[in-house]
Amino acid sequence: MTDVTNVTMRLNGETRTAPASPETTLLALLRDQFNLTGSKLGCDAGDCGACTVIVDGKAVNACLMLAAQADGRDVLTIEGLATLERLHPIQKAFEDNASLQCGFCGPGVIMSAKALLDENPDPTAPQIRDALAGNLCRCTGYAKMIEAVHDAARELRAQADALPGHKRRRAGGEMESA
Amino acid sequence: MRAFELVIAKDAAHAVALLAEHGPSVKVLAGGTDLLVDLKSASNVPQVVVDISRAADLKGIVITEQGLRIGALVTHTEIMRSPLIRELFPALADAAHTIGAVQTRNLGTLGGNLVTCVPSMDSGPPLVALDALVTIAGTGGRRQVPLTGFFAGLRKTLLKPEELLVEIVIPSENLGKPADFQKFGLRKGQALALVNAAASLWVDWERNVCVAPRIALGAVAPTVIRASTAEAHLDGRAITPEAMAEAGRIAASEAHPITDFRASADYRRDLIAVLTRRALANAYARAKAMREGKNGD
Repeated sequence: MTDVTNVTMRLNGETRTAPASPETTLLALLRDQFNLTGSKLGCDAGDCGACTVIVDGKAVNACLMLAAQADGRDVLTIEGLATLERLHPIQKAFEDNASLQCGFCGPGVIMSAKALLDENPDPTAPQIRDALAGNLCRCTGYAKMIEAVHDAARELRAQADALPGHKRRRAGGEMESA
Repeated sequence: MRAFELVIAKDAAHAVALLAEHGPSVKVLAGGTDLLVDLKSASNVPQVVVDISRAADLKGIVITEQGLRIGALVTHTEIMRSPLIRELFPALADAAHTIGAVQTRNLGTLGGNLVTCVPSMDSGPPLVALDALVTIAGTGGRRQVPLTGFFAGLRKTLLKPEELLVEIVIPSENLGKPADFQKFGLRKGQALALVNAAASLWVDWERNVCVAPRIALGAVAPTVIRASTAEAHLDGRAITPEAMAEAGRIAASEAHPITDFRASADYRRDLIAVLTRRALANAYARAKAMREGKNGD
């Protein structure tokens, strides 16, 4: 009895459209319509963070958004990070630090870290803890994740500095044009 | 989730019209952090959900003639990052930071936090301590009520089915009033308050006495309450550590905390005394720092 409408979004850099009934969550749309199963269905109540994706630059629980609310917006999932050639620096740092064990929470944790580093390229340990507080992991105890985010931040800063016409950072993480 | 019809409101007036059209069972969707969780577990889902999350006139943080106006759709993250709020009401930014986690703060709205009206809401105490008003829109126009009166009971507000909370206003006479927020939960991340408390006060520096003190408590009664006997004890009284500790003890005797799986009523009463004293002491410290900052100019 309810109307199925088309939802169009910019998804991992491409414009994508899929039909969704009103009660479809963004998470269900990603997994069932777009076959992007990296984002996980955990608690389905906004507590565990396994479904974390980035919408318009902000980390959100995809289980707490309706698909229709993502219409016209920019959505980034874990599948949008790596290329065929190489992992994203955050993923590489998680691998190098053995930051994940079972891995179920990983996509959500990495997307939370990505949202943090996009806004704050040089976070402190408390800032990293705060950014990951909405992601539950029952295997690792988090310490190696926090180390990995530090490493990834360092690597991303080095990459940014190596770019021609790069932005130079001042102390405190503020950006200024070189 | 069971099926429902989703209608998107383009602004507050449209939302009110939709609420009136679809009757009392209709639900309002803003940040979704409470509503969608409820709808997933509910056995009878409403037929119609009105999505107000795209209504631009319900957003924004601005100073108006009346005071500081915060749109009902402003998220907890936006409150934490607002330069206006950080300068004028750091206690409100502190409270927003203790809500949920990044993901839920990016979605969840101030209006939603108030309308859901759970006893442990963290936005309530600092706003009550600053004498906040709320503006309600209905089919017959708009009305304003004090936030304390807006809270009608456990998960209950003054809102009629066809009404919408549109904004929160901190009156202009309280702009920059020194205030503080304290929360005690079982963890730092993603924890509901066992008790939360906010205090605000002006200082008469000639006499070093407390003027217009406010103490607001959460999670210790069906709704956020003011500890008015404790406030009366402090009003016009010299500001001393003893007076603030006594105000905390009085506040504890004014509340009606419950025993549940998180904490006992006795433990909560102890927390009220401690958190109230700390909130008052920090508000006073903030008042001093503001005065010294001014004199330094």
